[in-house]
Formats: sequence, structure tokens, C-alpha cells
Amino acid sequence: MSDSLLITTITLAYLLIVLAVGLRARHNQSSSLEGYVAGGRHMGLLVLFFILGAEIFSAFAFLGAPGWAYSKGAPALYIIAYLALAVIVWWLIAPYISRLGRRHGFLTQAEFLSACYPTRGNLLGLFIGVVSVLAMIPYLTIQIAGAGLLFEAATSGTIPFWLGSLLACGVVAAYVYASGLQGIGWTNLLQGVMMVGVAWFLGLATADQFFGGVGEMFRELQREAPEYLTMPGAGGMGWGAFSTAILVSALGCVMWPHIFMKFYSARSERTLKQVFVLYPLYSYLLVPLLIIGFAGVLLLENSPLDSADRVLLTLVVELADFPAWLIGIALSGALAAAMSTAANLAHTSATILVRDVGQHLPVLRGISDDKALKLTRYGVVVISLAAYLLALANPGSLVGLLLGAYGIVVQLLPMLLGALFWRRASRTGAFAGLAIGAALTLLFQFGVSTPFGWHAGFCGLVVNTVVFISVSLVTHSSSSYSPAQALSSKG
Amino acid sequence: MKSRPSLPPRGLLIYFTICALAMIWPGALVANRIEPMVIGLPFFMFWYVAWVFALFVGLVIAYRHDAAQEVNDE
Repeated sequence: MSDSLLITTITLAYLLIVLAVGLRARHNQSSSLEGYVAGGRHMGLLVLFFILGAEIFSAFAFLGAPGWAYSKGAPALYIIAYLALAVIVWWLIAPYISRLGRRHGFLTQAEFLSACYPTRGNLLGLFIGVVSVLAMIPYLTIQIAGAGLLFEAATSGTIPFWLGSLLACGVVAAYVYASGLQGIGWTNLLQGVMMVGVAWFLGLATADQFFGGVGEMFRELQREAPEYLTMPGAGGMGWGAFSTAILVSALGCVMWPHIFMKFYSARSERTLKQVFVLYPLYSYLLVPLLIIGFAGVLLLENSPLDSADRVLLTLVVELADFPAWLIGIALSGALAAAMSTAANLAHTSATILVRDVGQHLPVLRGISDDKALKLTRYGVVVISLAAYLLALANPGSLVGLLLGAYGIVVQLLPMLLGALFWRRASRTGAFAGLAIGAALTLLFQFGVSTPFGWHAGFCGLVVNTVVFISVSLVTHSSSSYSPAQALSSKG
Repeated sequence: MKSRPSLPPRGLLIYFTICALAMIWPGALVANRIEPMVIGLPFFMFWYVAWVFALFVGLVIAYRHDAAQEVNDE
């Protein structure tokens, strides 16, 4: 059997196993919308840990992160920093959100915020729903395109891009359609273990094969190109840009709807906290992947890559002397990272489309739980298909939409924290902060350059918070409860 | 009624803040060097690996604190 055929066979076998595990999980599922979307609010420690870990670590972990180490060096550590620090925000707010979700039947992020800040016709909910979906579909497209790219490179073109992305997308859509969060749970467990194992193996084996070990590799890098090993790195990323990128990404991470909505699915607040205790250890997954990027600096010194994102593939598939079966397993691990994230994005976007956006259409107002469930499942298929077609068209052009829409979603953070912790938080203040913060973020993202090279979203957050606080203080308020507390005393 | 989001004790909040500041400016400035290499990693990279572990330890302590408090509440 030729090498690329063997790689293809192993990878297809892996996809089949994922599909089987995902479809089998449908038996554990109750037939309610709550069961499909939030696992009946009954997910346990092990499964929830891997859902959260595997959804956060996406195709970016295997493509973009080594690419950062390869092209920029030390600034790539921002990825480890923010992914670990994100847990602090979760720790502070998630148990409470979970509790209110259970009490009031919330399933989406928009439902939570619009209950805290009621608007006429629930316009806030519609706005959040639309912007979230606009951020998530490009993100999903990038995962599917990443899967196609991985397939094509690892099988040396035996499986072309269109087919590879179709296979990954089809498997994901099938098990999410059939099994909802239960399907995502069990497959993410499998995919999570797979990606951690593959990442560590590849990192250590690559360093060992070319340099005789990780320490030896960094010694050589210290002699040849020491600028990669400390700030500001090879690309000259300043401390301001580095630090604000870490802060805004760590704070904003919680606002991704597919992460936020998982808080509702925990069996108990204690389970949620156990997941968070273990979570920082998951971010060690990036260490071996960054090592591969650093190895690329030395190994590709004479033939630099046009696209830094391909550094892992180039090293593992072309330069290293790994047997074909091992490359098949490595490809499966990298695909696991892309697919486990894609599954959550498709699942969450469909839920938001039906719950937050759909309820504004006259035909869907007040539909039954059964019908909403059916629509959500169709939504998964439609969204996956749309993302696949976008992946074929030109995924690169979607990055702007992703940054813009997600930039706005992050600006919901001050009003969320205000709703939870601050009794003076006022609706007027929250909306004023959101409007100005979002406008400023977009302006910085696509127009003007930011002061001191700070992250655009960070500048938006700072101004947003200042406006929110000052307007709220000016607005008269006699409440002795924060908006979220007032909610629970009513309920 | 337990309807208030309970903040962890002040000590832990300070600890979390230290973890965050260690990974950005100005905390990370002190670690911005290659030597000494630890477990094969340049010092700057090891610094991040170590603080992630410190964060993990802090969360273990916070968890135990919460669990003890829940027992007291009952």
C-alpha cells in the first residue's frame, strides 16, 4: 500500500470511529430541547472537561499556534497565557450563571442578558443573537477549511481540499444532528484525548529526531537566532500589544456563546468548579505545538515558508522521517482539534438562530418545544452546509467578519459583569457603554491605529467600562440588588 | 436565599491578580531572558508553564475553600 493511501485509510477509520461514538450517544439523550442543547443540565466532570477543552483548542492550535512560534517566536506565549487566565473569569461568574439558567430555563447567552436588561420586543436579544452568529459562522468555516487543508497536505493530495473538508464537516453535522450535546460530549472526550496525545508525541518526537531533544533544540536556537526566545520576538511585538492581547482575549473568552452556554449544561455548580480547577492543565497542550514552531525556525532557515500556518505540516509530513501510519494518526489528532470545535460552533449557532433570532419571526413565535428542537437540528445541518460552501469559496476573506463580529460580542462583557455584581448597573449605562465600546473597537480594528499599539478590543473595553459606570452613576437608581440578583428574587 | 454571586475570599482574588500580572507587563519583564534554561525550556517559556501551574494550585485551594464553606452552610 502506498504511503498516502495508508494515511488516508487510517484517517478515514478514525473519522468512522468518531461518527460511531457520536451517533451512539443519541441513546443517552432525552428528546427535549433542553436535553439536546444543554444535555438536560446534567453533564458530569469528565465529559464537560473535554467538551470545554476540545472546543477551545481548535484547528488554530495545530496550525496557527506553531505558525506564531515559527514567525514571531516568544510572543506566541500569549496564547498559553490567555487560555489559562480565561479560567479566572469563569470561576467568578459561571456557577452563578449556571444557577440562574437552571432556575429560569435559560439556554442562550442572549436570554441571560436580555432578562437582566429588558428591552421592548427583546431587541437586545435579537442584536446579540445576530452578532454572535455572524462571529461563529466564519469561525466554523475556518475549522472546516483547516480540516480540508490538513487532509490535503497529509495525504499529499490523495484527498483533495474539497473532499477532506466535506468529510470532516459531514461527520460533525451527522453526530451533532443526531445526538446534540451528548454526541458532542462523548466525541469531544475521544477527540480531546487524541489531540493531547498527538500534540505531545509530535512535539517531543520532532525535537528528538532533528536535535536529540527539546533542550538541545533550544540551545541551538539560542546560538542561531536568540531573538526568537524572548520578547519582543522576531516580529517585534511590543509589551503593550502583547499584554493587552492577553487581557482582552482572557476576559473575552467567556463571551463566546459556545463557551458561555456550556455553563448551563453542568450537573451542578460543584461539577463546574471541578472542571475549572483542571482546565489550566489543558493549556499545556500548546507547549509541544509551540516547540514544533520553534523547530521550524531552525529547520526551514534556508527555505522560509510563505504561510507560517503550514509549519507543523511541513515538518511532520515532509521533513521528519515518520512512518506513514504515524502520520495518519497525527493527522487524525489535528483533525480532532478542528472537528471538536466545529461541532460546538454548529450546535451553538443553530440554537441561537432558533431561540434568539427565530422568536422574532411571526411564524416562529411561541412554537412548541418539540418544534423548536426539530428546527434546531435542521439548523445544524444548514449551518454546516453553509460553512462548507464558504470554506470552498474563500475562507481568508471571512477573517475580517470574524474579528469585527467577535469584537462586538466581547463588548457585552462589562454589562454582564455589571448585571452580576453591581447594584447600580443601569440599562442606559449598559447600552451607552456597549454602543461606544463597539463603535470604537470597529474603528480601531478597521481604520485608525490604536494608541501605544494596544489591542483594539482592549481599548473598546476600557472606554465601554468607563461610560457604563459613569452613566449608571448619573442615572437614578434605588435598587438594592444588581440586575441579576433582582431577577432571582423575582423568580 | 443563596442568590448572590459569591466572590472568593480576598486572598485568592489577590493571588489570581498576581497570576495575571505575572504573565503580562510588568510582571513578565523580570523573566524576559533565555538563561537559566529549566526542563529544557528557555526561561521565558518556562515562566509561563510555571505560572499556569501556579494558577492550577490556586484553583485547587479555592475549590477546597468553597467545599468547606458549603459544609458549614449546611
